[in-house]
Amino acid sequence: MSTHKAGSAYHNNLVGPVMRAGDLAMAVIEAARIDNPGKQVTVDDKRAYIRIHTEQEMILREETIAEELGRPFHINDLEVDLSSFAGQIESQPGAVRFYFQKTV
Amino acid sequence: MALLNRMDWYNLARTTNWTPAYVTEDELFPPELSGGFGLPATAWEGYDEPYKQTYPEYVKVQREKDAGAYSVKAALERSQIFENADPGWKSVMKAHYGAIARGEYAAASAEARMMRFSKAPGMRNMATLGCMDEIRHGQIQLFFPHEHVSKDRQMDWAYKAYDTNEWAMIAARHFFDDIMMTRDAISVSIMLTFSFETGFTNMQFLGLAADAAEAGDHTFANLISSIQTDESRHAQIGGPALKVLIENGLKDEAQKRVDIAVWTAWKLFSVLTGPIMDYYTPLEHRKQSFKEFMEEWIVAQFERALTDLGLDLPWYWDKFIADLNDTHHGMHMGVYYWRPTVWWNPAAGVTPEERNWLEQKYPGWNDTWGKCWDVIIDNVVDGNMALTFPETLPMVCNMCQLPIIGTPGNGWNVQDYPLEYNGRLYHFGSDVDRWVFQQDPARYAGHLNVVDRFLAGMIQPMDLSGALQYMNIAPGECGDDAHNYAWAETYRAMRELKLAS
Ligand SMILES: [Fe+2]
Ligand SMILES: [Fe+2]
Repeated sequence: MSTHKAGSAYHNNLVGPVMRAGDLAMAVIEAARIDNPGKQVTVDDKRAYIRIHTEQEMILREETIAEELGRPFHINDLEVDLSSFAGQIESQPGAVRFYFQKTV
Repeated sequence: MALLNRMDWYNLARTTNWTPAYVTEDELFPPELSGGFGLPATAWEGYDEPYKQTYPEYVKVQREKDAGAYSVKAALERSQIFENADPGWKSVMKAHYGAIARGEYAAASAEARMMRFSKAPGMRNMATLGCMDEIRHGQIQLFFPHEHVSKDRQMDWAYKAYDTNEWAMIAARHFFDDIMMTRDAISVSIMLTFSFETGFTNMQFLGLAADAAEAGDHTFANLISSIQTDESRHAQIGGPALKVLIENGLKDEAQKRVDIAVWTAWKLFSVLTGPIMDYYTPLEHRKQSFKEFMEEWIVAQFERALTDLGLDLPWYWDKFIADLNDTHHGMHMGVYYWRPTVWWNPAAGVTPEERNWLEQKYPGWNDTWGKCWDVIIDNVVDGNMALTFPETLPMVCNMCQLPIIGTPGNGWNVQDYPLEYNGRLYHFGSDVDRWVFQQDPARYAGHLNVVDRFLAGMIQPMDLSGALQYMNIAPGECGDDAHNYAWAETYRAMRELKLAS
């Protein structure tokens, strides 16, 4: 990787969770697709963690994740496997939103 | 019984500022502890934490996290992962636990300062949870290595390291004392939670988890990635504080703190994380290079978030990016050279296959760092072991407390950055380290680095035995080559082949 490319890697608008591997991560991938229609969901699996990203904004809703998990789920339980995330975060009633204010 | 939705009561529950009637605001929130930046408490009431968690939710979620981490440990306890691990990987664990565990415990006190003294009620809430997080991180990272203490004395440094004057620990303490133990609540939120935790802890706790999973050490991978789920929440304490400062025309103060913390964190992690990712972790288990992890976590994720909040890239950005190719290679060589003075056994990591990997990840490695390793390898093959250890003292930076290094061989750029202050001559490893000192000289001026202490006669006798004693390194704890130089056999065979032909 050239130095030039390294220095400009912040030129991206990818937001979304970095999940520990497991069934919750799998449910979040599906929920990201359902809750963000028309957006491309990129999944980068690093084995210990999985980056689940979209451009600029991503919403995850607790009922969608519960449906994908097949069991009751509260949005604040996301934290059990939410190791990190890209973008800013906003806690909403029954949902979480990742976003960037600016577009680069 | 129907429970209210969290959002219906959250705002009311955190409205905990009041107008003091019996004391002044400065007595309730002493500026040196609160860091009000001249702003009244009302200005800080606009602070809105973006990642909201309540105490009952916290208890439930943390219980689930701990159940997961401890059950994985229990399930794998008899699998002999530690016993069968590559010696290089054991060194990764030793370096990590020693440099991190007790620092986590100390971080609980930094969180407690925000919990008590911040004028922002939302920050006090989040820091209450953050404080308990850090107690968890201290305890769990002492408990997990403890089962190995009876098998390997160096594992005892998980507990012991912070109580010693071992040189890398002086550097670690200098950094953590600066950004979290001796700063006001708002500065802690910016320097510790925002600058350090949203950036560098990701690289250490998730980058390293990726390597651990590849190495089959699922206990460690699971532990440190679980810790990071706490970090990702309480690391958000700093963001809204930055927004308050920027809105009130204090962007320069905020930017300065970020720039100081990012640089000094970078230096510490160049010696801690760089060598373990690019040299100690067995080649087949390296998920990415250190530089690639830095690009992923620090450049693409952290710096992007920083600019989104309205700050600028640090003024030294170009130098930082260039140094991603170099600094940790020098730190690795220094640690290897001075290996009796660390509590782990450094892996050389320079077999022909590993050198190919290094050359591929860092083009030019063979023409620079490789040239020094050629000499060390020749000495090992010739059995001139004394020549593989240092005879002189290194130059140590008066800011990062680490050796002053530059690129050797064809990339030669070694330079001292001196500064005279109040009649004392200080040495720095870069103009950025010197700049950090100049931001608040009185804060740093009294500190003696390990070589200053040696030259002042504080380390007696003035030889390696005196140094080891000063650093609390007991017999059986001294570092040596992780693989007992077995890797040099390849080079010996190559030389014999060459002689025979
Ligand atoms: Fe922590
Ligand atoms: Fe933390």
